[in-house]
Amino acid sequence: MDKKRIWEGFRPYVLIAPAMAGIFLFVMYPVGYLIYLSLFKYNLLNKDKSRFVGLDNFTQILGRGDFYKALWNTTIYTAGVVVLTMLLSLLFAVWLNKKGRFNSIVQAGIFTPHVVSIVSISLVWLWLMEPNQGLLNYVLKLVGLPPSDWLQSSKTALMSIIIVSVWQAIGYYTLIIVAALQSISPSIYEAAALDNASKFKVFYKITLPMISPQLFFILIIMTIGSFKVFDTVQVMTGGGPNNATTTLVYYIYGFRTTNIGYASATGVLLMAVIGLLTFVYFRLLAKKVHYQ
Amino acid sequence: MASIEFVKVSKYFDRQPVIQDLDLKIEDGTFTVLVGPSGCGKTTLLRMIAGIDPQTSGTVLIDGKDVTRIAPGKRGVAMVFQNYAIYPTMSVRENIEFGLVNNKVPKAERTRLVETIGETVGLADYLDRKPSTLSGGQRQRVALARAMVKNPSVFLMDEPLSNLDAKLRVQMRIELIELHKKLGTTFVYVTHDQVEAMSMADTIVLMNKGVIQQEAPPEVVYRKPSNLFAAQFIGVPPMNIAPLGEDRSTFGFRPENAVLAAEPGSFHFSAKGEIATREMLGSETIYQVKTGDGRSFMVKCPDDIFHVDQEVYLGVPADKLFFFGADGNRIEERDARYLDFLERLRGQSHG
Ligand SMILES: Nc1ncnc2c1ncn2[C@@H]1O[C@H](COP(=O)(O)OP(=O)(O)OP(=O)(O)O)[C@@H](O)[C@H]1O
Ligand SMILES: [Mg+2]
Repeated sequence: MDKKRIWEGFRPYVLIAPAMAGIFLFVMYPVGYLIYLSLFKYNLLNKDKSRFVGLDNFTQILGRGDFYKALWNTTIYTAGVVVLTMLLSLLFAVWLNKKGRFNSIVQAGIFTPHVVSIVSISLVWLWLMEPNQGLLNYVLKLVGLPPSDWLQSSKTALMSIIIVSVWQAIGYYTLIIVAALQSISPSIYEAAALDNASKFKVFYKITLPMISPQLFFILIIMTIGSFKVFDTVQVMTGGGPNNATTTLVYYIYGFRTTNIGYASATGVLLMAVIGLLTFVYFRLLAKKVHYQ
Repeated sequence: MASIEFVKVSKYFDRQPVIQDLDLKIEDGTFTVLVGPSGCGKTTLLRMIAGIDPQTSGTVLIDGKDVTRIAPGKRGVAMVFQNYAIYPTMSVRENIEFGLVNNKVPKAERTRLVETIGETVGLADYLDRKPSTLSGGQRQRVALARAMVKNPSVFLMDEPLSNLDAKLRVQMRIELIELHKKLGTTFVYVTHDQVEAMSMADTIVLMNKGVIQQEAPPEVVYRKPSNLFAAQFIGVPPMNIAPLGEDRSTFGFRPENAVLAAEPGSFHFSAKGEIATREMLGSETIYQVKTGDGRSFMVKCPDDIFHVDQEVYLGVPADKLFFFGADGNRIEERDARYLDFLERLRGQSHG
């Protein structure tokens, strides 16, 4: 009887233990170790020569221009990707939500980039954006627009990377929004029609609030994801030209062998920035989100 | 204030006809109840009036004007949906106000209207709540208020009471009747509940499989059903029907019009039988009587004096008998065949 009661008490902990072990091993421990490393001047060759330096790494980072440049690039990239992806996927979703003959084909097509590896996508776009032989400039010339330097100029490189990321992300988020749209009861739209609501009003007062939980989810997921962008930069520009596309994670990557402590400290800062942003989102927007 | 008229209206869903060549006139200011079994096309008819699912062919006229090309929001109709279709993201106030805002009613006027209507339907204390925090009955009132506030000339209601519990349903029924009296506008009310139809309607439009079976005031539908379907749809338990001779014609009588007795009586139609079942409902008792030749009749008696397996004599006076021809239509008293049928039945009586 007593044994049974003890087991009752323990059972929940036993049941979540495997998951917790995973979380501890792959999330908590690395985060803790990251913070630990950020306080050291770490020596990769000889661990014993590592020196505890306190917050030195952080003061160094905050005093260096290239960190702010990377932070700025990342912010611009994130803003660009989040705003463009959300607007475009919303647009596509509203269009796909109508019952059309081609819509399932379009839906499958638009989702394909999500299935393809981002490295392949980056490589393909690298060719497309080649200034002299690339398809994009060829098309621009055809329609009589001036060609662009794309990835080769510090003015347009970040924009080019944003375009690739948006192109890759759109299908997935469109699908999420389409699913959200389809869960709205048609009779609500009929009631709105009887209430003499204009199309714009229906979209603004009914559709948007109804899908706000999904939009909010997308906003947070995409912000976090975009702040951590790496592969596209690595494959397409290597951070150049002239650091125009160096994002935070790529910046960290640059110190992977030379200064582990410094890289770790930057990682901690990245985490802090993302945490802060998410917090701000929740404070500003959570009230506007309608949960059923 | 508006009358509604259907002229040769047909409605197809994916080439499947649901309503064909329907003609119907709903008079201005009446409380018309569309009633019929599930799937007979009541909602379809209502949605054609509202314009949210327009007819495939034919014309719908509101106040004599063809509204085929007029948007739902501009027809002057308001509708209470079967599932209420309240906007879940808006507060009760915003829900009620939405139509007014779209119709550019000034703010002060709007506030006044919303508060008065809120008072009328008993939602004054709930105006700033979200619909998800309301009970079923309260949501139903929101839907009603949303329709009322627009001061429509036609009120459409699609089984608005079907989600409420029995007590609240009776209460809302009375409130709707009073509302109709007060507003004096045209009400078109859909239900498959014949009690609702009988108690609320000025005119009942009885439908089956997309075809109107009878269009008449409740007492006429009850006393003079136009065919077998109408006779059996209205009334609980439904009218007893039994064959009359070889030509597929039938006769019938209502359970409440038959008399049971221990001794044979002198009725136009009488039959000897045994009580098979007995349902005691309080104010009345319903017996099922099985006759010798295997037929069974339901009888509703005010008193509870018989028991199961008891031998009884069932009798129906001549003026309470209904006759239906081979086509299912009722044969009226002035019809030449009526007397002939009466005679035939006398010949059939047992005991
Ligand atoms: N959108 C639709 N597509 C195809 N068929 C439909 C559609 N709407 C209704 N129907 C068909 O039309 C017929 C009438 O439907 P309707 O909704 O008018 O019935 P109803 O009389 O309101 O029934 P209930 O009492 O169950 O609400 C049904 O057979 C139904 O299957
Ligand atoms: Mg219906």
